[in-house]
Amino acid sequence: MEADLQAHVAFFLSGKINTPNLSSIDGLNLRPALFANYRDLTRLRYDFPLVLLKDAPDGPCVESLSGLIDGILEKIAKGSDGDRIRKHVLRLEQRIRSLATAQDSAPLIPLWEKAASELTSEDKEVAEALSRARANLKVDGEVIDCNVSMPFHYLGHVWALTQTRRARRFGDIVKRLVIKLNEILQADFATSNVGRSAENLKRSFGSGPMDHFDFEAMSRILAKSAPKESLTKSRRRRIEKLLATLQSQQFFPTSQSDKGTYTFAFDSCAAAIAAYRERMPKAIELSKAVAVAELEVKGEYSESKHDRLFESFGESGLDPRDMAIFPDYLVRLHAHELPGEELSWLTEIMSLNLPIKVLVQTDDVIERSPIHDGHLAFALRSRQLARMALGMAGVFVLQSPSSSLYQLREKIRRGLDCSGPALFSVFSGIAGSSAHMPPYLIGAAALESRVFPAFTMDPSSGNDWASRFSLAINPQAELDWAAHRIVYEDDACQTVTAQAPFTLVDFVASDARYAEFFAKVPKAQWNEALTNAGDIIARDKWDSIDRIDSVPSVLMVDEDDRLQKVIVSEKLIREARRCLSMWNSLQELGGIHNSHVEKAVAREKAAWEESARVIVAASAMASAVPAPSPAAATLSPAPAAAAESEPEKSSDEAYIETPRCASCNECIQVNDKMFAYDGNKQAFIKDINAGTYAQLVEAAENCQVAIIHPGKPRNADEAGLAESIKRAEAFQ
Amino acid sequence: MKLSATKQLLELYKEQQALEDYQSGVPRWCTGCGDNAILAAIQRLCRDEGLRPEKTVFVSGIGCSSRFPHYMKTYGFHGIHGRAFPVAEGVKMARPDLTVFVNTGDGDCCSIGAAHWVHAIRYNMNMTVFLHDNQIYGLTKKQASPTSPIGTKSNTTPRGSYLDGLNPLTVTLGVVNASFVAQAVDWIPETLFEIVKAAYHHKGFSFVRIVQRCPEWLPKSLDPWLQDPERIQLVHHADGLQLSPGLSRVYKNQIEHNPRDIHRAREIASNQEAIPVGILYRNPEIPCYEDTRHAGALRTVDAIRRNFDAELDKYTV
Repeated sequence: MEADLQAHVAFFLSGKINTPNLSSIDGLNLRPALFANYRDLTRLRYDFPLVLLKDAPDGPCVESLSGLIDGILEKIAKGSDGDRIRKHVLRLEQRIRSLATAQDSAPLIPLWEKAASELTSEDKEVAEALSRARANLKVDGEVIDCNVSMPFHYLGHVWALTQTRRARRFGDIVKRLVIKLNEILQADFATSNVGRSAENLKRSFGSGPMDHFDFEAMSRILAKSAPKESLTKSRRRRIEKLLATLQSQQFFPTSQSDKGTYTFAFDSCAAAIAAYRERMPKAIELSKAVAVAELEVKGEYSESKHDRLFESFGESGLDPRDMAIFPDYLVRLHAHELPGEELSWLTEIMSLNLPIKVLVQTDDVIERSPIHDGHLAFALRSRQLARMALGMAGVFVLQSPSSSLYQLREKIRRGLDCSGPALFSVFSGIAGSSAHMPPYLIGAAALESRVFPAFTMDPSSGNDWASRFSLAINPQAELDWAAHRIVYEDDACQTVTAQAPFTLVDFVASDARYAEFFAKVPKAQWNEALTNAGDIIARDKWDSIDRIDSVPSVLMVDEDDRLQKVIVSEKLIREARRCLSMWNSLQELGGIHNSHVEKAVAREKAAWEESARVIVAASAMASAVPAPSPAAATLSPAPAAAAESEPEKSSDEAYIETPRCASCNECIQVNDKMFAYDGNKQAFIKDINAGTYAQLVEAAENCQVAIIHPGKPRNADEAGLAESIKRAEAFQ
Repeated sequence: MKLSATKQLLELYKEQQALEDYQSGVPRWCTGCGDNAILAAIQRLCRDEGLRPEKTVFVSGIGCSSRFPHYMKTYGFHGIHGRAFPVAEGVKMARPDLTVFVNTGDGDCCSIGAAHWVHAIRYNMNMTVFLHDNQIYGLTKKQASPTSPIGTKSNTTPRGSYLDGLNPLTVTLGVVNASFVAQAVDWIPETLFEIVKAAYHHKGFSFVRIVQRCPEWLPKSLDPWLQDPERIQLVHHADGLQLSPGLSRVYKNQIEHNPRDIHRAREIASNQEAIPVGILYRNPEIPCYEDTRHAGALRTVDAIRRNFDAELDKYTV
C-alpha cells in the first residue's frame, strides 16, 4: 500500500511513469465517466439541431428541432392514437437529426421530406401520421447542428433579421417624411396661379363629364380665395434638398433609391472600421435630413433659430441613439486571426463605442501557451478576451460555448439590437484532439468545467453590475464546480453511486494532447488514497501540507464503458486551481460569494451582536427598572401622525379656499377686480379693497361650494353694514 | 439624458402653451354651472401635458356639456345628438396621431347615444371620455334624463319620474373590453384634475363620469352630497387615486381598492349612499381597436395600389 502510494505520488509530482503498475492513457480513447451516456447524440432529444427560421424578423428567429416537433405533437398527438402518432413523429425527428448531423446545414423542408420518405415506405399508418405532422409544420429555415460553422451562421442569421427590422423602421420613417414633404410642395402648387388655372383644374379632374363643368369659372372663383402666402424660396429649396437626400440614401434598400446599398458584414475589424469611417459623413447628412424633415412636416422649422443649429449638426459625431436607426456592422472572425493589428482594431471598436458587432470564434480553449517553458500553461488569450471587454464602458459582452447559444438566444438578439458595440466570444467545441467527440459535448463540458464559463454583460439592462451582469446560465453557478452523480455497476453487479465534481482536469482528460499528464491505475491498486481531483483542488490548506497522503484522480471510461481511474499530474492541478480562481472572480462580479458583501455582513453582524450584548448586560444591572427592548431602543421617533396642518385662518380675515374652487364664475361676476383666477383657473381674493364688504358677502352666498369666507368688514362706515355682517355669519 | 441629442434639438424651440391659450370665447353656461370646473380641469391638463392645439380634438354631441369644443382653442367637432362616439372613432381611425377627447352628457350618451356608447366601450379606442352627468336635460330646459333619480320632477315628468336612474358606471363596467372607468364630482377640483389626468394617461377608452351640479334646473338635488363630506367615498390605491393630506382631512370616508379588481369595482360603483370618487377599474392590457386594425399604417402609393388591387381581386371571375 505504501509502495503504491509512493509510486502514485512520484507520478503526481514528476509527471513520469516509473513503475509498471501505472500505464499511459495515450491511445486508450478514454473519456470522462460522465460522458458514458452521450456516445451517440443523434439518439437524444436536446437543443440541437437548430432551425434558423426564415422570414421571422419579429418573432423567435430560431427554434430547436425538438421544440418545433413538440409544438406539432401538441396539436396532433391527441386521442386514442396519440401515442402512436407521437412515436412515429419522434422517429422522424431522430432521422432528421441524423441527417442534419451529417452535413453543414440544409433547408428543413427537404430534410423533412427525405426523412419522411425513408420512414413511410415501411407502413401506411406511419405515412398518415407523418403527413398530419407535415401539414402542421408552418415554418421553414436552415437546419444546422452544433458544428464548426454554426456560430457564424447563427449570429449572421439573427443579425440579418435585426437589420430587416431596422430597415423596415427606417423605411417607415423615410416614407412618411417623403409623403409629407411632397404634400407641402403639392399644396403650394395647388394654391398657386398655375395650380388654379383652368387647364390644370381640368387635368386634375380626370375623365368624366367634362362638358358639365366650366373650369374657367372655377379657376376665377378659386383665385379669389387664394392664400396670400406661398412657400418661400428658401423653404422650397430646403424641402427639395431633403427629398433628394432621403431618396438617395444607400444605407437601406428602398423602392425610391436608385443607387446600390452598402454592405455591412465583414471578416475583419479593420475593414469594418474603414467602411464605418468612410460612410460617417453620409450618415450625419441623412440623420440631419431626418431631423430637419421632422420639423418641416410639423411646420416648426424656424430659419432664424434652426439654421445655425443645424449648420454644425454632427460635427462631434452622432449620439449612439441617433445611430441606432442605421444598420450595424458585423464582423465574424476566428480567434487565431486576432493577434496583432486586428486585436488593436477590436480594442478601438470597443473603446470608441462604435456600432460594430464582433463575433470571435474560438476553436481551442486549452491550446498550449506559445511561451510555455517546460511547465503546463494554457493560453488564455481566447478565454480572456470577453473578460477584458468587461472593463470597457458601454460594450455588450457575451461569452458562451456554442452548445449554449440556443439558450442565450434572447440575449444574443438584445446584443445585436443594442446601439453600441457588442462582443460575442464563442467556443465552437472543435477542440484539438477531442475531435472524436461531438462539438456539442465538448462545448457543454467546457461550460460545466468552468473552462469556458458563459456570461452576459448588457449595459442597457441597468446601471449596476447586478442588473447588467449575469452568470445564470452556468450549471450550479453558486458552487466552485458543478457536481454530478455517476452511477455504475461494480464487480459484484451492485449499483454504486458516486458524486463527482466536473473540473478542468476532467475536461483536459478528454483531450489526447494532454495524455502525458494522466496515468491509469490498475483496478487492483485502487485505494482510499486516490482522492477525487475536485477535492484536492479545493483543499484550502494545499500549500501548507507537509506530507502528501492522497493523490488526485478522475473517473474515466474506456471504449467498452468500463470504469477506469487515472491519476493526475500536479501541473494540471495547478492549472485547475488557476481556472477556479478565475471562476471565483467571475462569481464575485455576478454577486455570488462577493467578498465585499460578505465582509460587510460580517461587520454588521459583529456590531449587532456587540450592541445586543451591551443591552443584555445593562438590563441585568438595572433589573429593578424594566429596560427598553433593543428594538425599541433603536427605533427612530415616529413620524408625526397628523398630516401637516395648515395655519388656521383668523375669522377676521377674508379668504377663499382656493384649491376647492370649482371655477364657476359666480364671484368673478360679482366683482372681477376683487376676485380673480390663478394659473389653474381657481379663484382667490386679488384685491380686498377693490369692492365692498357687501359684495364679499354676496359672493360668499353665491358660491356653489361655499368656500368664500368674508371675515370682518374693513370699512366701518360702509352702508348697510349691520345686515351684511348678519348675512356673513353663515360663512365664517 | 432621456432623449438623444437630436431629439433634444427638435424639442429646443417647442412652444409652451399657457392655460389661457386653450381658452376660446366666453362660456355660455349658466353661472355656477359645474361644466366650468370641468373646463378648468381639462385646460389645466392640456397645459401640463403640453398638448398641441393642432393635434388635439374635442368631439361632442348635443346638450349643455356638448358646447365644450366651442370653448377650447383646439380642433373640435360639435356633432349631432348621441353621435359623439362614432365621430370620435372616425377621427381616431383616420388620424390615430391626434389626441381625442369626447364630452358628452347624460342625455346625449345614456339615452339617444346609448348604443354607440356600448360599442365604443367594446371597441376600446384610445380616447378620453367625460360624461358630464347633471341628471337633467338642461339645454332644453328641464326634462328628465336617463340618470335622473326616481321622483325627479321635470317638464316631462311633472309628477316625478317613475324609474330609477341608470348608473353609467355599472353599465360601462358590464360591457366587454371596458378598460378604464372612473368617477369624479365637479366640486372637488383636486380629485377631478387627478382623475382627468389618469384617464388621459390610460391607453384605451377612458370613461370618466363626472357628477355635476345644475344650479339652474336641479339646484338642490346634490346638496346632501355636497354638504356632507361623509357622503363622498374616496377610492384610493397606490395604482389609482392617491390622496393628499388636505383631502384626507376633509373627506374621511375612504376605501382602498385595486383598480385591477373588476368585481369589487362593480360593487363600489353600485353604492347609492355615498358617491364613490376615484379610479374604479383600469386594465391597460386590452388592445385598442385602431391598433388591431393598424389604423396608423402609412398610406403610401404602393399601399393604396395594393389595397385597391385586393378589392378588385374580389370580383375576379
